[in-house]
Amino acid sequence: MIKLSGVSKQYTKNSTGLDDVSLHVDAGEFVCVVGQSGTGKTTLIKLLIAEEQPTGGTVEIGGWDITRIKQRDIPLLRRQIGVIFQDYKLLEKKSVIENIAFALQVSGATHKRIQDTVPRVLDIVGLTEKKYAFPHQLSGGQKQRVAIARALVHRPKILVADEPTGNLDAINANEIIEIIKKINAFGTTIILVTHDRGIVNRLRKRVITLHDGSVVLDNTHGKYQL
Amino acid sequence: MVSFFRIVKFALEDIFRNFSLSVMTVVILVLMLLSVNTLVVVQAITTQAIASVKEHIDVSIHFQHEATEEHISEVRSYVESFPEVLESQFLTKEQVLEEFKQAHQEDSSILTSLEELEENPLGSTLVVKTREPSDYEKIITAISVPEYEHIVEAKTFNDVQTSIEKIDTITRRVEESVIFLSILFTLIAFFVTFNTIRVAIFTQRLEIGIKKLVGATNWFIRGPYIIESVIFTICSMFVAGVLVYHGLAILDPYLEVVFGQKAFLQEYFSAHATQLIGIEFAGVFALTVFTSGIAIRKYLRT
Repeated sequence: MIKLSGVSKQYTKNSTGLDDVSLHVDAGEFVCVVGQSGTGKTTLIKLLIAEEQPTGGTVEIGGWDITRIKQRDIPLLRRQIGVIFQDYKLLEKKSVIENIAFALQVSGATHKRIQDTVPRVLDIVGLTEKKYAFPHQLSGGQKQRVAIARALVHRPKILVADEPTGNLDAINANEIIEIIKKINAFGTTIILVTHDRGIVNRLRKRVITLHDGSVVLDNTHGKYQL
Repeated sequence: MVSFFRIVKFALEDIFRNFSLSVMTVVILVLMLLSVNTLVVVQAITTQAIASVKEHIDVSIHFQHEATEEHISEVRSYVESFPEVLESQFLTKEQVLEEFKQAHQEDSSILTSLEELEENPLGSTLVVKTREPSDYEKIITAISVPEYEHIVEAKTFNDVQTSIEKIDTITRRVEESVIFLSILFTLIAFFVTFNTIRVAIFTQRLEIGIKKLVGATNWFIRGPYIIESVIFTICSMFVAGVLVYHGLAILDPYLEVVFGQKAFLQEYFSAHATQLIGIEFAGVFALTVFTSGIAIRKYLRT
């Protein structure tokens, strides 16, 4: 599903994001990516959603080589990968239902499809009753659930979660992880970037550890080791 | 088509959810349009004022008392044959005398002297108006030839030559000032509007990034801004139109005293309405679309 071959990302002469990273993630896998700040986790996500292009190597998503993806193809790629962030990245001027529907509207989905899909994902994340609320009226956990719902409307094959629990208390963080596990159970590949040792250790999934832009550990049922 | 309606819907939502910013943008555009229309008013008044002054300038060719009708007719035909001559009026000796008397009706000594003379001492006169004050010199030069010396007694052009030159200079200066002010005001308005729209888009940079993140194409992101530009342009044109209309209605009575023409500015604007609305609409629309295009470009790169 995801294949990185000798991928490097050099920002400036003295700033390296990734250094000769090769890894393969199968469809339906749940992978935790851990590492200290500045070790290349965010660079990895940016490469996966084509926010950055590698300076070396190739990146493939579902057999699609996105290493030198054209500007006009980026929206198509992003509709196939769901992404959630620590800071939720919700449209503040849109309600919960509008935020979720927007992801479908931009792809030209029909009104009927939007009406069918949005309530279903709202139900999955348990926010049906908050559908007309605006982001500023929601708690952190609720905002992250909206972000997950939005990421899910396209039924993506991959869900990339960049520190999704970073701003949440333990209870909300666990709820979010449970939702992500549920999504993985439906067959979606999960890339979870996190600093949370407890979450990584409880999940007992594959753990990729990055250090100075390189993969230093890749354990199938790993633990948080730094 | 579905996408187009969505873009329109998003544009309307943006306008109402960022209402204060939308109002501020329209206010800036209205101020810009008022500046431009003020210059149009100044231009119209200046042109009319200069035309009025020019209208009052003419050249009088006074014929010798003894000049025969045949000679006078010859000079008259010659002068009227110039394409620069707008109109001419021939005054007979009697009409000249009558005008002279009227002009000096309060000067009894002149009137008495006239009465003492048994016959009319004044010759007939040809009053000539040309298209431009500078054309008078050409006419005068043309008749200042030896063969007409015994026919033409005097030309009053020399008396008004300095005034004509001054008016010409003033006209040129006023026109230059209006052009300079127009450029200055347009530039100020352009930069103020440009920055207002840039700030408006800067405040929405995170939203633009999020829209890209969920797979929106650049045109889907740009679209609402173009629709907003159309709406802002229409609103600002409407508000500016109402203000200008009322402004003209206030100014016109004052100008009527000067130019003797009723509703001068309102008629001027009516006569040029299509041109003014067309140019101003195109200008404001191009400015808003161009500015938002430039401002949004850097947020669309990733």
